Amino acid sequence: MIRDNKFFIENPYGRWVRDNLFSSSSSAFLTFFAGFMVIYSYRGIVGFILNPERMWTSVTYNMKLYMILAYPDEAMIRVWLSVGLALLLGGLSIGFYNSGKTISLGGIFQKLFTISAVIALLIALAPTNTNVIQNDGSIEVVEIIPQDVRMLILGPSLVLTLAFFFLKNIKIKSLFNTAKVNLTYCGLIIASLYFIKIPTISLDSSGERIIPDPFLPIASTTYIPWTILYVGMLIFFFIGSLLKNRDIKIMARLIPIGWFLCPLFIFSWIFKKPLVELNTVFSADIPSILVFGIIGFLIIRFSDNQSLGAYRTPINIGFLVLSVVVFLLPVVFIFKATMVLLLLLLVVSPAIATTKEGKRQLFIVWVVSLFVLTFLIRGASSDTMLVTPTGSIFGGFSLTWLLAIFGTYASFPLGLALALGRTSTLPVIRIICTGIIEIVRSVPYITWLFFASVMLTVFLPSGVEFNLIIRVLILTAFFSGAYFAEYIRGGLQSIPKGQYEAANAIGMNPFQRIFLVIVPQALRAIIPTLVGSVITSFKDSSLVAIIGLFDILRIGTSVIPAQSQPVAFIGRNLEQLVFLSFFFWVFTFVFSRRSMKFEKRLGLGER
Amino acid sequence: MSIIKTVDVKKWFGDFQALKGISMEVSEGEVLVICGPSGSGKSTFIRCINRLEQHQEGEIVVDGIELTNDLKNIEAIRSEVGMVFQSFNLFPHLTVMQNITLAPIWVRKKSRSESEEKAMELLERVGIPEQAQKFPGQLSGGQQQRVAIARALAMEPKIMLFDEPTSALDPEMIKEVLDAMKELAESGMTMIVVTHEMGFAKEVADRVMLFDDGLMVEENTPKEFFDNPKNERTKLFLSQIL
Repeated sequence: MIRDNKFFIENPYGRWVRDNLFSSSSSAFLTFFAGFMVIYSYRGIVGFILNPERMWTSVTYNMKLYMILAYPDEAMIRVWLSVGLALLLGGLSIGFYNSGKTISLGGIFQKLFTISAVIALLIALAPTNTNVIQNDGSIEVVEIIPQDVRMLILGPSLVLTLAFFFLKNIKIKSLFNTAKVNLTYCGLIIASLYFIKIPTISLDSSGERIIPDPFLPIASTTYIPWTILYVGMLIFFFIGSLLKNRDIKIMARLIPIGWFLCPLFIFSWIFKKPLVELNTVFSADIPSILVFGIIGFLIIRFSDNQSLGAYRTPINIGFLVLSVVVFLLPVVFIFKATMVLLLLLLVVSPAIATTKEGKRQLFIVWVVSLFVLTFLIRGASSDTMLVTPTGSIFGGFSLTWLLAIFGTYASFPLGLALALGRTSTLPVIRIICTGIIEIVRSVPYITWLFFASVMLTVFLPSGVEFNLIIRVLILTAFFSGAYFAEYIRGGLQSIPKGQYEAANAIGMNPFQRIFLVIVPQALRAIIPTLVGSVITSFKDSSLVAIIGLFDILRIGTSVIPAQSQPVAFIGRNLEQLVFLSFFFWVFTFVFSRRSMKFEKRLGLGER
Repeated sequence: MSIIKTVDVKKWFGDFQALKGISMEVSEGEVLVICGPSGSGKSTFIRCINRLEQHQEGEIVVDGIELTNDLKNIEAIRSEVGMVFQSFNLFPHLTVMQNITLAPIWVRKKSRSESEEKAMELLERVGIPEQAQKFPGQLSGGQQQRVAIARALAMEPKIMLFDEPTSALDPEMIKEVLDAMKELAESGMTMIVVTHEMGFAKEVADRVMLFDDGLMVEENTPKEFFDNPKNERTKLFLSQIL
């Protein structure tokens, strides 16, 4: 028996097996049962994927369709600029934040050991044969992994596994920079784009005849841009580490701001080619910046004026009413959006603009954000010069990405505001916020989507018209905002009363108390819930298919299976669904792993 | 010159009257110890002094400012009055250093470097300068309470209120907190301390008060209070506690 066997007592690995897999007879049964289930379903999946009936070329051939739908070919450089912006920023932040962390050689071998062991296990367990149903209904057994191929992969991976197993205990002092190791992995992946070949379809120059050699490198048409971007990322990585070594502190603030603005910038200026007329710039944008710049200056200037103290509440209410009025008036959209920013300034300035230095800094921030906001809104609200057959330049993954990022971006501040409003002591604000939350949450998301597609135009003042995507974005923001608000409210309630008292006792005003003491703790407490809801909204973005938008799922389930030209993929549903589940899984998995690390880093204070 | 003056302060929680008319004065530099059975209103009373609780009748004047509903007055008084709580109430998401410098930077609008210098000074004064970069959750109860004292002192208050500062501590940690408070009293700080530590009252206090059922039943010098109590209630209290 395992319990008494010498190996399972003395050997550390044997002991692990005994303690974790066979600690009692019932756990031994569970181990066998689970092991059987895992192997059985694994063989089923591999058999399904490698079945010669499958036409995986329908996925690989349509990769561009999946990513950007019918984005015009002549503007492809804009797509690469969008991806490039994110990657370069990524390289910069890896260089800036991670340059201190190191990993030992043993640690690297430990990882390689795990990887090669998993590969060896997977290939050893893979089935040899699979059943193929013939046209006449008979079943034919087809060999999918020949024994010699299996041996060709299994042999080297077993050798490597053994080698790494002994190498991982290596005691070499030298440490490697984690960021550089990770970038090397990225480099290997980019290099593999050149030599790993997959089945696909290539057409000759006339675009009609299929060229017979179906095996091409994974990124047969895109490896040049990927390589350029990788090199750019490396360069930015070294710039980032250089800035870190020079101890340039301002970067620690600029990089998060860059990450915040990057998707907005891509959305409004790069991915679409906005049609901006100088006329509107002079008649709307510049006057808006001037007017709001002056109003902002006055607010900052007089925010700590003693003689105005008694009028503060009426002034605030006046601005609130004014902003509602501006929202209902048929003025340019930039005015309305800036009005919201102005309300924020009104709330913030009494807390910050109390010294001359504070006023000066706040005014600079105000002017810069006016320019950034105007720039982004002008880009977003202008028509695009790109012509696409579907009418929308966003489609496929770019649409999914847009909905997920902007759903989160807009709903988070909205949710925070609603949550604070619902817990406010002012009855009017509390009732309005509670009303919004309850109404939005009590109606299903699909209903809201229909509302966005057909009814929202009826409710908006005449003359105001938004693109369907913008309408969907607005409603998504409210929908997930309402859920965020309830999560955040839960977080707020978990903060003990003593924290409020302590903040009061050191003389903080309500604004400082909320944003320096209460909200940081409340958010920390609900990070797992928030991550869950971001993942949910990423997946829920597929629902926009029902109101006529082409998201990645709709392309996979209805566009590709209907293709007949130039290659017929009619009825190829299963391949698309397998690919899409894998695709969504990769994104949500990476996201939840990152958030776990983030949680760990923030959780330090809780111990 | 009295720095705190209360006249006939009354306070109700619903139907329950917690304070039934407290009139007293505290002069600058004085150390006042308030003791009494639980539920006698002593904590409620000192929490009224910086408006964590609102009194309904009577008047409270702190440093020449009367406590009314005016938010400006309340904030002004709160930045002059430091408070230390029974359950520490440190901010768990900030390091010890950030806990102490938060108010000076945001409320007093001091520069970060100046506040951090001052914070290190205070941490040395309460004897834990090496803990500056740790989070409150990594410290013992006694250390946390000393950080709380340093946090209150960082605002350079004129008055310090202590609401049962040692009640939540293990016996061996009580001494380190009391030592820090003793040092503070010797430096001339005006202090009101609600406590059951009679040793501290005997040694440090200038005056001792006994609260019972929302009323102040005895007020005396520590020597008289412990050796020669006038009130029957005081005798009973002392016989139970000593």
